Amino acid sequence: MASIEFHGITKSYDGTMKALSDFSLEIEDGAFCVLVGPSGCGKSTALKLLAGLEPANSGRILIDGTDVTDLGPGKRDIAMVFQNYALYPHMSVRSNMGFGLKMRSIPRAEIDRKVEEAARLLELTDYLDRRPRALSGGQRQRVALGRAIVREPKAFLMDEPLSNLDAKLRVQTRSEIVRLQQRLGVTTIYVTHDQTEALTMADKIVVMRDGVIQQIGAPDDLFHTPANIFVAGFIGSPGMNFFRGPIEFEGEAGFTRLAGARVRLAPAANDLAAIGNGEAVFGVRPEHMTVNGSEEGLPLTLALVESLGTEKILHFDMPGAEHAVMSGEENDSARRSGLLARVIDDRRYRAGDVIRIALPPEKIHVFHPETHQVVP
Amino acid sequence: MTRPDRTIETPSPSPARGTAADGAATMPYPLVPERQRTAGRLRRAFARKLAIYTGVAATSAVLLFPLYWMLVTALSPRTRLREFPPRLWPEEPQWDVFHDLLATQPFGRWMWNTSLVALSTMILSLSVSVLAAYALSRHKLRGGQSLGLFILTAKMLPATLMVIPFFVIFRSVGLVGSLWSVVLAQSTLIVPFATWMLKGYFDTIPDELEQAALVDGCSPLGTIWRIVLPVAAPGLAATALYAFVLSWSDFLYARTFLTTSQSKWTLNLGIATLKGEFITDWNVIMAGSLMAAAPIIVVYLFLERFLVGGLTAGAQK
Ligand SMILES: Nc1ncnc2c1ncn2[C@@H]1O[C@H](COP(=O)(O)OP(=O)(O)OP(=O)(O)O)[C@@H](O)[C@H]1O
Ligand SMILES: [Mg+2]
Repeated sequence: MASIEFHGITKSYDGTMKALSDFSLEIEDGAFCVLVGPSGCGKSTALKLLAGLEPANSGRILIDGTDVTDLGPGKRDIAMVFQNYALYPHMSVRSNMGFGLKMRSIPRAEIDRKVEEAARLLELTDYLDRRPRALSGGQRQRVALGRAIVREPKAFLMDEPLSNLDAKLRVQTRSEIVRLQQRLGVTTIYVTHDQTEALTMADKIVVMRDGVIQQIGAPDDLFHTPANIFVAGFIGSPGMNFFRGPIEFEGEAGFTRLAGARVRLAPAANDLAAIGNGEAVFGVRPEHMTVNGSEEGLPLTLALVESLGTEKILHFDMPGAEHAVMSGEENDSARRSGLLARVIDDRRYRAGDVIRIALPPEKIHVFHPETHQVVP
Repeated sequence: MTRPDRTIETPSPSPARGTAADGAATMPYPLVPERQRTAGRLRRAFARKLAIYTGVAATSAVLLFPLYWMLVTALSPRTRLREFPPRLWPEEPQWDVFHDLLATQPFGRWMWNTSLVALSTMILSLSVSVLAAYALSRHKLRGGQSLGLFILTAKMLPATLMVIPFFVIFRSVGLVGSLWSVVLAQSTLIVPFATWMLKGYFDTIPDELEQAALVDGCSPLGTIWRIVLPVAAPGLAATALYAFVLSWSDFLYARTFLTTSQSKWTLNLGIATLKGEFITDWNVIMAGSLMAAAPIIVVYLFLERFLVGGLTAGAQK
């Protein structure tokens, strides 16, 4: 058990493209930290650097306050669960799990005891003498976990351990991993590109993009106060709606326009004025687009209804040409050209209906059109 | 009590539905054609199997015929060898030929020398090529690909081309007449191809396996020993077999480097001397050749269990 610190890590595999740039992160002892981001953003690279499998170009890594930057992987006392498990195919489950202990010259009897204990915890007792090839995907995944926990390491590193499981098993194993981590209290860094996994498992989420940390925070913080357009669009499902619009003032209050109607904004007028060019990008989560029974609110034309029983996703045409296509953004929601609303009610919706939608001012995020940073 | 609406359940048509022929004709999925279809499928499967087995049997017969003819020749009396038409099996098999050969020639000595050469060549060339192949497979050197191909070109040189340079080198270092000359010469030819074979095998072993072992506290060399080699066992076995068979059957190098020192003769060299200038006892030569081939079969049977592929199964997903 230990705290983990990255200080200004930079890593490039080929000398030109940076897989990680100025990566700094502190993880408290016993925390469950999730690195999330689109494919190729450097998540696995961060783990490999922490494990000592790749050297950093600059910066320091500390485990439990000790500088381990120049230590080999075997000396850092961490355990890793690989994306494709990397079980030793020529060894039984028992030897797979005991291998790390054997390499540390732990007496045979103690290895057996620890392996059996971990096997009981993971319900692998019946499979201890099998080879990995005779196991199902879920069982292999648990052996990979078991191999990590028998070592009682200072930290667990998990690289998308659930990506090879089917949807149902994934949800089930997700909560098993969280419970296991809470029980063992071992600092864990967990990599995924699935924001749902991040939101449900993490104490602390690190959102990454192109090797740069975008935001660090608790799941709620990221959901409610995203730092920029990328994070806002990446976290949440379906992702945030974005539209472009003018900024207008009336006294101390700021407004924008959507579908010909004025929309009240929450930030103070001088913060809005500071954006400068009289225009901004606005974001609203589909959950916060509320259907108004009355005649007030924005009149939006319904293009498509996705019904999941009581929950429905309403797709609206973007009124006018106000959509804010953010080229270069990896997340789909920033490129979406309509507006989505997520509603739970018993009303029947039909494509073509004009629906009145209310946008609560405090739920509208305002982003700078060039820097994409949030306006406080 | 008649229940005409439930007759479909009974195997034989009820009298109410007329004759059996009527029943069969009106049933939507008549039983008989169905059975015929199954039978047809079985017959096709059988025919395919028959074709495969016939093919295998024919190929085996062609491949094994020389061995069989060696045995027939060995067991026939010397005077009957040129008989026409040839006999498929000698009337009185001369089993003594093996015994006589062992008694009159230092056959055991030859066998021992050949074993030394083959095993040493196998161990030497495997040790070198495992390390070379691992380096080529894992460390992405600049020009590694062309280096690998360049190594392979060494394999294209015919052995006879190398005999003279080898002889000059071995004479200057005093190796002529020593079994080591054959071991070194054979290894030189075997290493390039063995390296290439093993590299291909190592390439199929995922990096993550080694990284997992490193994180588990294994040293880099320990990782090769404990993870890479066991997982590559089929590749190692195939390469070992290749090295063993090639060096066991060496004649050219033994004939060139070892002729003068009779105590260092290998099997192939010894058997070749049985060929006389005026008369050749082919039955004796065939008996010797059979005994010389036996160890290869033994080694093959031993390594065969490792030759099965798919040892990496289960490492991933
Ligand atoms: N061994 C390597 N050699 C060269 N480039 C590499 C290597 N490993 C990763 N990269 C590059 O570094 C960048 C980050 O890769 P990384 O594997 O860390 O991404 P990731 O976030 O784990 O993505 P994924 O979700 O697809 O696993 C990518 O652009 C990738 O192409
Ligand atoms: Mg990855």
